Amino acid sequence: MGTFDWRVIYDNFPFLMQGLLTTVELAVIGITGGLLLGVLVGMARLSSRKIIYYPATLFVNFFRSLPLLLVIFWFYFLVPLLAGRPMGDFFSASVAFIIFEASYFAEIIRAGIQSISKEQMQAGYSTGFTYGQTMRYIIVPQALRNMVPSLLTQAVVVFQDTSLAYVIGVKEFLRSASIVDAREMRSLELYAFIGVIYFVFCFTMSKMSKRLEAKKGFAK
Amino acid sequence: MLSYDFKWSILWTDPYGSWMLEGIWITIKLGLICWFIALILGTLIGTLRVTPWKPFRLFATGYTEIFRDVPLLVQLFFWYFAAPRILPHTWEMYLYKGIPNSEFWIVVVGLSLYTSSRVAEHIRAGMQSISDDQYNAALSTGFTQFQTYRYVIIPYAIRLVIPPLTTECLTVFKNTSLAMTVAVLETTFMSQQVEAYTFHGIEATTGACVVYMVITLVVVMIMGLVEKRLAVPGLITRR
Amino acid sequence: MIEIQNVSKWFGNFRVLENVSETIENGQVVVICGPSGAGKSMLCKCLNGLEPFQEGDIVVDGISLNDPSTNLIKLRQKMGMVFQRFELYPHMKILENITIAPIKVKKMSQADADKKAYKLLERVGIPEQAKKYPGNLSGGQQQRVAIARALAMEPEIMLFDEPTSALDPEMIKEVLDVMIDLAKSGMTMVVVTHEMGFAREVADEIIFMEKGKIIERGTDVSFFKNPKSERTKEFLDKILLV
Repeated sequence: MGTFDWRVIYDNFPFLMQGLLTTVELAVIGITGGLLLGVLVGMARLSSRKIIYYPATLFVNFFRSLPLLLVIFWFYFLVPLLAGRPMGDFFSASVAFIIFEASYFAEIIRAGIQSISKEQMQAGYSTGFTYGQTMRYIIVPQALRNMVPSLLTQAVVVFQDTSLAYVIGVKEFLRSASIVDAREMRSLELYAFIGVIYFVFCFTMSKMSKRLEAKKGFAK
Repeated sequence: MLSYDFKWSILWTDPYGSWMLEGIWITIKLGLICWFIALILGTLIGTLRVTPWKPFRLFATGYTEIFRDVPLLVQLFFWYFAAPRILPHTWEMYLYKGIPNSEFWIVVVGLSLYTSSRVAEHIRAGMQSISDDQYNAALSTGFTQFQTYRYVIIPYAIRLVIPPLTTECLTVFKNTSLAMTVAVLETTFMSQQVEAYTFHGIEATTGACVVYMVITLVVVMIMGLVEKRLAVPGLITRR
Repeated sequence: MIEIQNVSKWFGNFRVLENVSETIENGQVVVICGPSGAGKSMLCKCLNGLEPFQEGDIVVDGISLNDPSTNLIKLRQKMGMVFQRFELYPHMKILENITIAPIKVKKMSQADADKKAYKLLERVGIPEQAKKYPGNLSGGQQQRVAIARALAMEPEIMLFDEPTSALDPEMIKEVLDVMIDLAKSGMTMVVVTHEMGFAREVADEIIFMEKGKIIERGTDVSFFKNPKSERTKEFLDKILLV
């Protein structure tokens, strides 16, 4: 057991920060892409048309039963095959994240819309609104407010999931730390450091989400 | 499209087939052990979160926050690479040389602790949704606090939390895949091992996908049976 | 005028409505009462097409609900509905709750809709609540807003599904007063309720339903003084405490 030597962090700070930046990039891509795709799939899960409902349900159940790690490997092999040429590990990882996280966002959105009582829809209909108008003015605004805490929680999950891109060599935060560790053998300081950084990020985001959840109680 | 000839037979030809089987066995073992430890630990911590004593509550809250706000992979790396450094040198050597499959047990520590914090959250939510008056009713018949928790609150809470716990059980099995990064020879590791030897990555990875999907189906079925057995008429366990 | 012609509705083995027939003339106030599960709410929701039914037909002012070419959305503009749990839109202020349908469906201007909404709020007695959110209002106030919201579309028929069942006793009167006022102004109303005082005061006809069937119907006098069926007598005994 040696003494702590925090210089390893100071010396490699730029390299580590580059890793953090990659993590943030990957997370932003995963969250935005996943959210957009998730909205489509989530709405499809509410459709009464079988040809829209079944593929969406299959998609969601398929990806939710698999480990993200495996999905990353899968796309790592699949993406160059479909594109006809190597696309780079960051690109494959991005595709994997967007598709995987979309299945989780889709469920949050579906649940959010279904949580609004049927009677609210009936109230809208009873004044002569169409389905589209009811959804647009009555259901979706309420559902969005309900969904925001879960969406934020999932965003934090995406941020943490980016660490898995490690396995295909993407130089995100965790891999940067392990590269430095292989060279300098200061595992404790390095992993404690990135642990603290991750903690600060995620803790702040989840506290913000809790405050939003408390604020949204305007009714009742 | 890059040309690629599919060769699904690698999944069952020796030695690749038996590698996959060994990997599946490790996945199941790892998942079950971590799940049970996490259940016990998580129920304890979750209960602590709702007790009337502040130090217990603070401890439990801190516990949950730490494990939830750091990625699981980082936690595993910490336990595998960093934590042994804190141990006195002789202990560290014993860890690596004396215990067979030490990496498996290190993952058990990491994954169980992580999962227990998530279980704790579900238990806490379940217990908080039980009204105060249930608690008061039990106390008013002369129960101690401990008895109230043991006979009234916890059994009720367990039935309430079966659906979220089912999801958590599935998550544990999926998370076992992370053990591959610290050289635990489970399903995902083995599938990539097969890929390294045969260059048929898609078949190997798809094979592993099937394994996890089967595990998911089995877990969902078993938990469904458990839910039926424990169901109480009139108590809505599914939201 | 509403004609209900041999309407039946079922869920699997469970028959919710059995061969229900009734005619409701313009300007009539019809009260439907009966034990829980009698199908009263379901019948009410069938009248404006919110719930489908498997057999029979409902004809509203000559428009058949079964006819596939019927525009249910336009039909619902002619019928207003008030729900047991008020169902105000929690994310909108009171004024918006009332004006949103006239603006989006009837394409009224914001200014006209606001003016109308204030008039309606005065009619139900709470103009000062216009800028508040439903969560800030009491149950009785919310239900009165719900009535104003339904009236904003200038319906010819008003449907009430147990409008006072979710209210504290002190608030029931303020809502019933609004409904009585509405009845006296000549509105065609179908009211599912247990409030027999209301029925005695303004109902032209009272219908007693049980298990999806109409057991008895009568004018307020005949219904209360000489109920024909045993079942009706039992029910009235239970709910009229004196």
